Amino acid sequence: MKNWKRILLVVVIIGLITGGFIVYRIFTKPHRDVSQEVAVTLTAQKLYDAFKTNEANANQLYLDKAIELSGEVLEFSTNQDGQTVVNFKTADPLVVINCTFKTNPGTLTAGSTITFKGICTGYIPDANVVINEGVLIK
Amino acid sequence: MMKYLLSLALVIVVFTHTATAQKVYGTRNGKISFIAPNDEDVKAINNEVTSRLSDNGTLSFSLLIKGFKFGYAEMQDHFNNEYLMSNQFPRADFKGTVTNMKEVVLSKNGSYKAVVKGDLTLHGVTKNITVNGTITVKDGKLSAIAKFPIVMKDFKIDASSVTEKVMAEINCIYQ
Repeated sequence: MKNWKRILLVVVIIGLITGGFIVYRIFTKPHRDVSQEVAVTLTAQKLYDAFKTNEANANQLYLDKAIELSGEVLEFSTNQDGQTVVNFKTADPLVVINCTFKTNPGTLTAGSTITFKGICTGYIPDANVVINEGVLIK
Repeated sequence: MMKYLLSLALVIVVFTHTATAQKVYGTRNGKISFIAPNDEDVKAINNEVTSRLSDNGTLSFSLLIKGFKFGYAEMQDHFNNEYLMSNQFPRADFKGTVTNMKEVVLSKNGSYKAVVKGDLTLHGVTKNITVNGTITVKDGKLSAIAKFPIVMKDFKIDASSVTEKVMAEINCIYQ
């Protein structure tokens, strides 16, 4: 009888610790910090070409990956929540690489070439390749 | 005479082209968010929604699942890997029409009720939906808002341990 109680107590305690740990993880796990990650380096045009040619293949290579991208700034603006968004030029006038910055990249000029790091979230055909969580490199 | 006919033909071509040309309003950075009605911690925002609204009533939205940002990183991981399977289904698309476009006067300032009907593809499943929203015109600038429920099992999403449905909210300002 005593043994039975002891086992039950141990099981309950283990359960509470595991449960507590899961809840703790949900509320404390840090978000990705792309500035600390090793990135795939490429140009805006190359990234677009990869998605245009074979979206499934490009998803394999770039989806959810840290990307260090260089390209010519076509235009910049702020999104509906006040973050800076830079569209990079590609050879297709209708398609851009759309990049949302996590940290303010400072003063930008259209036509200049910049390099930044971000996370690729995928491709919307006939519109853009999307990168978010951007931080300026140079 | 030949020259005259040619220029007449040219005028007709140019004219019909202009007459049928549609004006399309678009954005690459519209906003769609969702929240689980029974757990307010389960919420996320996507600020990279591509949307196009044509003056003939055609309306489309496309977004990338991995673009949804949660307050909690662990929830974002579960959402992507276990529930939405965003590696396999990276994108969600809606293609439809504003069925009462005649009542939406894009040339006149105002807020117009819009009844939108079309196909929503999410998690690899396509379903025809009807959503009531509002299109606002202000000095030639358009915005669209709507709020509607998405039932998980309609799209074969097994998130029953978290929620049966979410409330989605669209808020897109067009260029």
